[in-house]
Amino acid sequence: MSEDGISKEPMLEMYLFEGNQLVEQLEDIIIKCEKDKRFEMGAINEIFRIMHTVKGSSAMMMFNHIGSVAHSMEDLFFFIRANQNIQLNFARLSDLVLSGIDFIKAEMHKIEQGHAADGLGDDLIDEIKTLLTQMKKSYEDQHATPAVVSNSSPDGTKTKYYISSYKTPPEENAANIKYCVRVFFDEDCQMENIRAYMVVNNLQDIVNELYHIPADMIDNEQSADIIRDNGFLICFSTAVSYAEVESALNQTAFLRKMDINQVDHYPAEITALHRKREIVLEDTPEADRYPQSENLETSKEGDPRTSNNRQQNIISVSVAKLDMLMDIVGEIVISEAMVTKNPDLAGLQLEGFSKAARQLRKLTDELQDIVMSIRMVPVSMVFHKMNRIVRDMSKRLAKEVDLEIIGETTEVDKNIIDHLSDPLMHLIRNAMDHGLECKEERMGTGKPSIGKITLEAKNAGGDVVIIVRDDGKGLNRDKILNKARQRGLVHKPEHELTDKEVFSYILLAGFSTNEEVTEFSGRGVGMDVVTKNIEKIGGSIAIESAFGKGTEIFVKIPLTLAIIDGIEVSVGKSRYTIPTISIRESFRIDEKDVISDGDGNELIMIRGQCYPVLRIHRIFNIKNAVTTISDGIMVMIESDSKTACLFVDKLVGEQQVVVKALPRYLKKVQGIAGCTILGDGGISLILDINGILERQLS
Amino acid sequence: MKSVLIVDDTMFMRLSLKTMLEKNSFQVIGEAGNGAEAVEKYKELKPDIVTMDITMPEVDGVTALKQIREIDGKAKVVMVSAMGQEVMIRDAVMAGAKNFIVKPFTEDIVIKALSKL
Repeated sequence: MSEDGISKEPMLEMYLFEGNQLVEQLEDIIIKCEKDKRFEMGAINEIFRIMHTVKGSSAMMMFNHIGSVAHSMEDLFFFIRANQNIQLNFARLSDLVLSGIDFIKAEMHKIEQGHAADGLGDDLIDEIKTLLTQMKKSYEDQHATPAVVSNSSPDGTKTKYYISSYKTPPEENAANIKYCVRVFFDEDCQMENIRAYMVVNNLQDIVNELYHIPADMIDNEQSADIIRDNGFLICFSTAVSYAEVESALNQTAFLRKMDINQVDHYPAEITALHRKREIVLEDTPEADRYPQSENLETSKEGDPRTSNNRQQNIISVSVAKLDMLMDIVGEIVISEAMVTKNPDLAGLQLEGFSKAARQLRKLTDELQDIVMSIRMVPVSMVFHKMNRIVRDMSKRLAKEVDLEIIGETTEVDKNIIDHLSDPLMHLIRNAMDHGLECKEERMGTGKPSIGKITLEAKNAGGDVVIIVRDDGKGLNRDKILNKARQRGLVHKPEHELTDKEVFSYILLAGFSTNEEVTEFSGRGVGMDVVTKNIEKIGGSIAIESAFGKGTEIFVKIPLTLAIIDGIEVSVGKSRYTIPTISIRESFRIDEKDVISDGDGNELIMIRGQCYPVLRIHRIFNIKNAVTTISDGIMVMIESDSKTACLFVDKLVGEQQVVVKALPRYLKKVQGIAGCTILGDGGISLILDINGILERQLS
Repeated sequence: MKSVLIVDDTMFMRLSLKTMLEKNSFQVIGEAGNGAEAVEKYKELKPDIVTMDITMPEVDGVTALKQIREIDGKAKVVMVSAMGQEVMIRDAVMAGAKNFIVKPFTEDIVIKALSKL
């Protein structure tokens, strides 16, 4: 998405960004309302406003199908807003709005992908319109009066005429000249009726009397068509000069053509009109037709959503630009090291330089922190998407489920969040489909009938941990073990396998204990895809489960992929970076402390615990490295509850490094996460601790 | 060069208007996301022209228009609205709006609506 972000037209990008945001906001509101089983006034106003905005923006971008769907929903909520006490069919209403949301989302997605937004929303619009008609009808039945809001005014016979009041008595003053003016507006100016009203408004101060056709231009929407076809006819008498009349009329915007004629008598159509019909002065209250302005006030306290100020002081920036910024900052960090640790400086006493270098270092650190924080986004967006999934699934599976969200403000890098949504969706689906039991079964085991899924995010050191927890039936160790054996996945004596190891089998490709395939979570192609996706962003998955009580899935993801704290070590002529997070301690030991088992594996005993020794020079086949244990140094590393000691030549220093992927022409090496460029221009390989431990200890 | 304050609750609309106006040598000196902000910005910036959306959170466009007209009886406010808001526009015109534009609008329409002021 971000790669072509810059080339896209900024308008389109803004449209999509805001549109998506609005639609997601709407989805949240609907789901919340459905949960509360009522639509609060604030929510209705908000829904109306969102649909109104989407309609307007879509029309501007010529996405007419999106616009018309939004329009029909706007109409629907306009009616609901105007008739607050109306009986609502919640299920149908929410379903419809959600389908509308889905339609709009799908179309926007197509646009994002560069396809045409060609989906037809006609069926949906028909459905919405049917609902609206039904609601109107039931409202009429209830109140036995015509609907307040409708296009055709059923009481049309009592049409009102806005005719300015007489300022001076209509005496036959010689100075009073009668004019007859026909006005035409620009073709695409729209709402001609209101434009006509503005003409009348402009003339008000200079005329003694004024008649116009069509007369009921505000109330009657058809009048716009009449004005478009026949023009707007105004007849008035005035004491001011022709020039003044002309200039008053000229104030009107979008005037295409205007015929001003001085006449002795008004034309017949006008005289007929003012003889026959009652004249209503224009200060007639109109408030009943638009009950919204008062309601807006009253609705405010009810819903905190209406009062969000987030637009203030916030700009949106394309992710592509942030990526570029990040890249450049990464280069600056490297250059800073290249300058301040330049080998040319070795042995020189440069007080001023060191001072300046320190300052530079401080600033680059700050710059880096700021850029990182800009890229951080809360996980709430992704988390709230799950509300919808839980809602849809609980309807279709007939399982009542309560989704609890904890720690949604936890922030992770934008790049990571984009990859989080799919795996989480899958985990939630699994929990709902396979984890939670049906109602009867739950009651039978003494659990509350409503199932519970918790989605939690929290910071843990340099990582973010996301936990998906359900209180369902839990994983069945024996069943999993059986299956694993059938597939030939078990390589250890079974009694030696911990629960954790057994459960992790379900993360492997093609593994599923569920016999039947359901609509939502399939045969088990899922979990390995989840694992792959999470691993792609440098994360890991662990499972804990208690049979009969529930399952917890821990997804550990790094805060960011771009920069890590590392300790630089050297082995022979090569240099490696060990992520500081994985290091527990480092120490020197004597040769005699190392115990060797029969197979040539080395072990050391630290504080009563035995740890395997991994010599980096052996793992990566490095020549000229230190081989005498007492000459090198041990670094104790830890990852996913596995611990070992790495043997290296020496520690070089601590440094923040910018992670660069290994070039594509190198095959993926297990144990190497990437590389980084050092201050002196050399290359250091970043160790993937997890990979090393897996590679060496299995 | 006439200075303009753009009031709309969506960034998209503000960007559309801004692009169109700046292309035609209007100077956009400020943007506001709702009616309350609009009134504050009006006091602060004293723009020649205000474009005012109608449906906005917190304080709607018509209310903001009235408040601005109270502060400055000569304020030139152009309403921006979608179809189906005739009554609101009429209220706005009665409250002193100088003109109005209907969404979706074209550059041509916007410039015509603002250039006569």
